[in-house]
Amino acid sequence: MQLKRPPSPLHLGLMAASCALLSGTARAQAADDAEQPLQIDTDVLYYKENAGRVQTIEPVVNLKKDFGDQRLLDGTLTLDTLSGATPNGAIPARTPQTFASPSSTTLTPKPGHKTTLYTIAPGDLPQDPHFKEQRVAGDLDWSQPIGLDNTLSYGGHASTEHDFESVGAHAGLSHDFNEKNTTLSAGINEEYDRIHGHGGNPVPGSDYALYEKESSQTKTVTGGLVGVTQVMRRNWLMELNYAYDHSQAYLTDPYRIISVVDATGAVTGYRYESRPDNRTRQSLYWVNKVALGPTTLDLSYRRGKDSWSIGSDSVDAKLRIDLGSGMYVEPHARWYHQSAADFYNLYLTGPSPAPNVMSADPRLAAFAATTFGIKFGVTTGRNSEVSLRLEQYEQMPSDQSSALAELQGLNLNPNLKATIVQLSWHTEY
Amino acid sequence: MRIEIFGRLTILLGLMLAACGCSTLGVKPWQREILARPAMALNAEPIDAAIDDHIYFSKEAASGGRSFGGGGCGCN
Amino acid sequence: MSLVCAAAGGALPPPHAPEFEVLPREGGIVAVCFVAMASPCELLLETADAHTARDVGRIAAQEAWRIEAKFSRYRPESIVSVINRSRGHAVVVDSETAALLDYAAQCHEFSQGLFDITSGVLRRCWTFDGSDRLPEAAAVAALLPLIGFEKVRWQTPRITLPAGMEIDFGGIGKEYAVDRVLGLVAARFAGAALVNFGGDLAANRSPGAAPWQVGVKRPDTEREARLLLELSRGGLATSGDTYRFLVREGVRYGHILDPRSGWPVRDTPRSVTVAAASCVEAGMLATFAMLQGSRAESFLEEQGVRYWCLR
Repeated sequence: MQLKRPPSPLHLGLMAASCALLSGTARAQAADDAEQPLQIDTDVLYYKENAGRVQTIEPVVNLKKDFGDQRLLDGTLTLDTLSGATPNGAIPARTPQTFASPSSTTLTPKPGHKTTLYTIAPGDLPQDPHFKEQRVAGDLDWSQPIGLDNTLSYGGHASTEHDFESVGAHAGLSHDFNEKNTTLSAGINEEYDRIHGHGGNPVPGSDYALYEKESSQTKTVTGGLVGVTQVMRRNWLMELNYAYDHSQAYLTDPYRIISVVDATGAVTGYRYESRPDNRTRQSLYWVNKVALGPTTLDLSYRRGKDSWSIGSDSVDAKLRIDLGSGMYVEPHARWYHQSAADFYNLYLTGPSPAPNVMSADPRLAAFAATTFGIKFGVTTGRNSEVSLRLEQYEQMPSDQSSALAELQGLNLNPNLKATIVQLSWHTEY
Repeated sequence: MRIEIFGRLTILLGLMLAACGCSTLGVKPWQREILARPAMALNAEPIDAAIDDHIYFSKEAASGGRSFGGGGCGCN
Repeated sequence: MSLVCAAAGGALPPPHAPEFEVLPREGGIVAVCFVAMASPCELLLETADAHTARDVGRIAAQEAWRIEAKFSRYRPESIVSVINRSRGHAVVVDSETAALLDYAAQCHEFSQGLFDITSGVLRRCWTFDGSDRLPEAAAVAALLPLIGFEKVRWQTPRITLPAGMEIDFGGIGKEYAVDRVLGLVAARFAGAALVNFGGDLAANRSPGAAPWQVGVKRPDTEREARLLLELSRGGLATSGDTYRFLVREGVRYGHILDPRSGWPVRDTPRSVTVAAASCVEAGMLATFAMLQGSRAESFLEEQGVRYWCLR
């Protein structure tokens, strides 16, 4: 008998190769082409903004089934319950301001009409405290191989809430080559939405005092995407996607108004917002997955621009650290920046004629946003896992004040802070 | 300047596609053990990604890019 | 308790009818014996129940026959024969064949070209019958352009062999079958099991307290050498050229050929036995060692494996 030395590099290579041969063929013969158990994911999301603003509880259930030979069915059901105050687009003023909740049929109390008014104290950001919404959304996707190197996928979604309905469909094709090191993908999607705000859609750009409403409106979105996925190294995978979409028709938010102020900054009235009737968006998305020992890094960058002059940059990094014994921790950081839409303004200065398009929606403003979070996961059974994700989001608008006399010292678009808590459970059946 | 950056990124895309044409990049089938790990899949945490996308879609002006399918909420 | 394994490189048994026998052995072991891949095969199971042994044995035998039918170069319907008849056209293979081709490609790289599944065409001019008839140098040289795995175009799942070239899995097939059969048996049988296909073995664990006792019998004209080895789990494979060789002017030409020159590797050991985690791994290490010729022992020392080398 000889004394045993540590295995040589050649021996290690041969061990790995032999292992790959035996486990690979065992899987190929038995499991790979066979039907897989049903994957079940249940999640609950709790989202809460600061200053009494929006909060939501959102349960999600997702089912995935591989029927064998890589034929996959994926279905998701989402329920959304939102409540809390939401900013209506007007800026704070030195005097109290009174607004009607969208479900109101008149601006001032009148017998025989439903009137829900709310008054905002001087200096406070106007937000509607009666906001409540419930949404149900469903998603179903199918994918299957075509021949040896191609995959076809298609699916649809539908959602409904009190003031909005949406249906959509998508289809895509991908082709593998280069020993499956490179994949080219392309896809198209189409969406049709119906918007009928509580109490009716306001006439865009009209005077708030007139409280003119019209019937429901629709909008369509058509888009396409092309992408390439490339294996760079044994531990590095990369994907680059270019997406293009075009939205048409009613793109305005039925609840947003914009304050009209005079030369001193005192409020003289409000107008309903009015957005262009089309929007074209492009984005370039680059994502990397790198394995560093037992740790996995997910690093992505996204650049977007659109026909409303909004340019955006987004950098996202996640590091999944395997702690052993089936536990992991995953810190996460995201930095985002967008420039303002060309028709965005904090307020309008009267009395010159109102522009055709205008909006004070903070979501169209210029701002930077950061997200910091951490996720903990633990394997609880042979094929089940529980995880908890905690994140903190903050949006910091660049335009928050005005030089006008009456508006001095007021924060016209305060930072938004939100806390996100998500509990997830994954299992198999 | 924005258009310039976009143009550069499009050139990057083109170069990547060209690079993929030379099969020097990539690994042999028996070298895929790390890539086969579930955490290395590009859509490793699809529900987290969908939830994040929904949050950012309703609070920011830009959206998507990852892939499509499922949008539809009255929040933007 | 010891069991006697078939001699490595023994005489060919007669062609078989697909049947197997269940034979009790001493020490609470039942043996299932059948013939496959031109070798006497046995599956040893730690059980007292002949019924269980028969059921498990049937699965083992069927898997061995399946692999033989699929990969034997002697069967016209095997994937290997289809590939060898393809005359330069691409052949699409399934994932099991792809895995074996990947393995062959890796071993070709690891051995720097010494292990080559396209070298089988050399049998057209070499016949190792113990005589002194060596082929003409020109005949061997003429076959060299048809040898070289680097000339094969292999990209999953398509293989394209240039016309005139051939592949065969003779150097991998039996060891692969041993490991596959052990895997299938272990999935259905809770006790200890040992698979032995003509001297290539694998076991999943020891039967009882003591390991399996393996006797490797090599009848030699000079002495009755019988190596007694202990195997609790893992694979064991032997590579040898005791029976197939040529002798001319006192120089012995073993049947292990160097695919780069077309001529036998010089000064190979009489036999090399290697123990490793699987039979496939053990068999490839033994083959690599034989290909090193005079350097076989130092090669095996460098790898840090358990081995037994006889010259």
